[in-house]
Amino acid sequence: MKTKEEILIPNPRELKNHTKKVLKGNTAAAIAAKICRATFVTAYPITPQTSIIEEIASMIARGEYDAVSVNMESEHSVFAAIKGASLVGERVFTATSGQGLLYAHEVLHAIAHLRLPVVACNVGRPSYPWNIWCDQSDSLAQRDTGWIQFYCENSQEVLDTIIQAYFIAEKLHLPVLVVLDAFYVSHTNENVFIPDQKSVDAYLPSKINGQMDIDIYHPKAFGGLVAPDMYDKFNYLFWEDMNRVEAETNLAGTKFEKDFGRKYSAVESINIHSDTKKILVTLSSITTTVRGVIKDHPEVGLLKIRLLKPFPRKSILKALNKVSEDCVLITVDRNFMGDNEGALLSEIKKAMYGQTRKIFGVYAGLGGRDVPPATIQKIIEIDINSRESGEIVWIDR
Amino acid sequence: MKEESKYLIENENVYCGALSCRGCGWSLLARHVSSVMGTKTVYVVPACCFSIIAGPYPMNLLKGTVVHTLFAAAAATATGIRHSLNRQGKNDAPVVVLAGDGGTFDIGLQSLSGAAARGEDFIFICNNNGAYMNTGVQSSSATPIGSITTTNPDGKGTNAKDLMGIIAAHNIPYFATASLAFLDDLQQKIIKAKSIKGFRFIMIDSPCPPGHKYAPELSIEISRLAVETNYFPLFEAENGTYKINYLPKKKVSVSELLIRQGRFSHLFKNGTSKIIADVQKQIDLAWKKLNDRVKI
Repeated sequence: MKTKEEILIPNPRELKNHTKKVLKGNTAAAIAAKICRATFVTAYPITPQTSIIEEIASMIARGEYDAVSVNMESEHSVFAAIKGASLVGERVFTATSGQGLLYAHEVLHAIAHLRLPVVACNVGRPSYPWNIWCDQSDSLAQRDTGWIQFYCENSQEVLDTIIQAYFIAEKLHLPVLVVLDAFYVSHTNENVFIPDQKSVDAYLPSKINGQMDIDIYHPKAFGGLVAPDMYDKFNYLFWEDMNRVEAETNLAGTKFEKDFGRKYSAVESINIHSDTKKILVTLSSITTTVRGVIKDHPEVGLLKIRLLKPFPRKSILKALNKVSEDCVLITVDRNFMGDNEGALLSEIKKAMYGQTRKIFGVYAGLGGRDVPPATIQKIIEIDINSRESGEIVWIDR
Repeated sequence: MKEESKYLIENENVYCGALSCRGCGWSLLARHVSSVMGTKTVYVVPACCFSIIAGPYPMNLLKGTVVHTLFAAAAATATGIRHSLNRQGKNDAPVVVLAGDGGTFDIGLQSLSGAAARGEDFIFICNNNGAYMNTGVQSSSATPIGSITTTNPDGKGTNAKDLMGIIAAHNIPYFATASLAFLDDLQQKIIKAKSIKGFRFIMIDSPCPPGHKYAPELSIEISRLAVETNYFPLFEAENGTYKINYLPKKKVSVSELLIRQGRFSHLFKNGTSKIIADVQKQIDLAWKKLNDRVKI
């Protein structure tokens, strides 16, 4: 039976195996966990993540979703429990935000270094003083934990990325954090096309357990003391697989397009060509605003970073392949990481190592500050000729 | 009377070569726990002495799965393991946490309390040697008053936390204390815990020669004295009904227990410290309270 908000669209190509609904980003995340058949979920409330775990709990209570959801007593335990469950071989899911993710930091390392294919959502908000609005400093502070990180532009991308995240996680034995913007995505209703279960099952087959999982009939020890030479080897193997992530992301995205009609890749370049003068580099929902504003600026391009960790250097260099040397990059950072430059600027500078292209950094939208089209316009109008490469602009100061 | 060695360990489920100190309580405990629990058990070990004793990668002291986990996260990790084993229909595979007092009384208390309150189906065993022994004898909230540690070089000034009281407040189906000097009692308690569903907790008073400062061969004698002096009474509570498992035949002064351990030696240096009399008073009061609970 169809719900009231369910609207059937007659026959557009991309909808042949989809249902269209109007959903918040958080609901899209919860539905993604369900259609990916994550069987073990842990929950601890934190604004603005809470409605994800609420929605999962109610889907389970209604008998629509076959999974166990356990209400833990902290985020440290939330991640420790999914670590245990993933070791046993279940497909696991959880979601958190801000302080919750920071509190779980220690466990994030353990999950990554145990090579567990965990997928978790983070609804980005800052830490302190209290602020519950959109910011990316929480997840960016986890860049060094060994998790793959995706940043999503809208609710559809949240749902689609979670499906691809399990595909990549289980292929490479690496955990994936799917990040969505607080409120701008988490609590904003949008049209979302939900793939049918059969198609998701075809894209993402049941998890196959192997040697890296607990097998009570063949006991072994996990996570015990490791001598330096073996520690070095483990990290080398980790490094090798981390180096595959960018290509696997593009592969997963291409396969996703084939099955569901929506294409995804590590980065997306919009209006980048040989005459482009400026390129704005963005994460998440700010990208949508930029898409609109640059329609009136044929000389301005947009480079959306979807895969943030590991940073997709090859894809970025490829996107900038045809761009002239005097075209500048302007990164838009919605995070203050206690450094001169924002995280995106740092990463872009690393990726651009050896090149002479000018790069500027903009701080915008911290702690949920609105970034309307007028702000994007201001960013485009920054007088780059009077500035040194690497200069930082606080756009609202 | 049967010779203890005849019936205690029927299925030896540990390999030789444990990395414990001489006279360590952990090794004896691990042998008894694993012989009862069987090889399908998943042991969850937060940071503690047993993290080392169980062997470095890829070794495994126990015939059973061992998951080494984070200090604060034993009960949470066990929660995930338990539910996932159940999802796979392996409900009969026991999950047992083997934690030290730090991972129980201090950093592990939150996740322990959470799991107990949720009624998670696993056994939590605390090997309580009354300090952070693995890092070299620093005080924990399980360290008894008067004990010298590297972080209380003049002797700890406050009492150990009443962890069993906290555990009792969670209304779990089974909790017990056990001693390595009373192996039959210990074994019966592990068997009983194994047979019950829900959250179960066993506290072991664990001897530690390097931490408590005495000769390794005295481990069992000192463990026995802790019970004989009512310093560590043996009791269990099944669905809230208390039972005392051992009644000392005659009253033995706590100074008999303390004087044998170097960690308390300063209490005996200039005459007898007031702390000893205070400890005796507390023991008598706690024993009375325990007896009152049994009567209810």
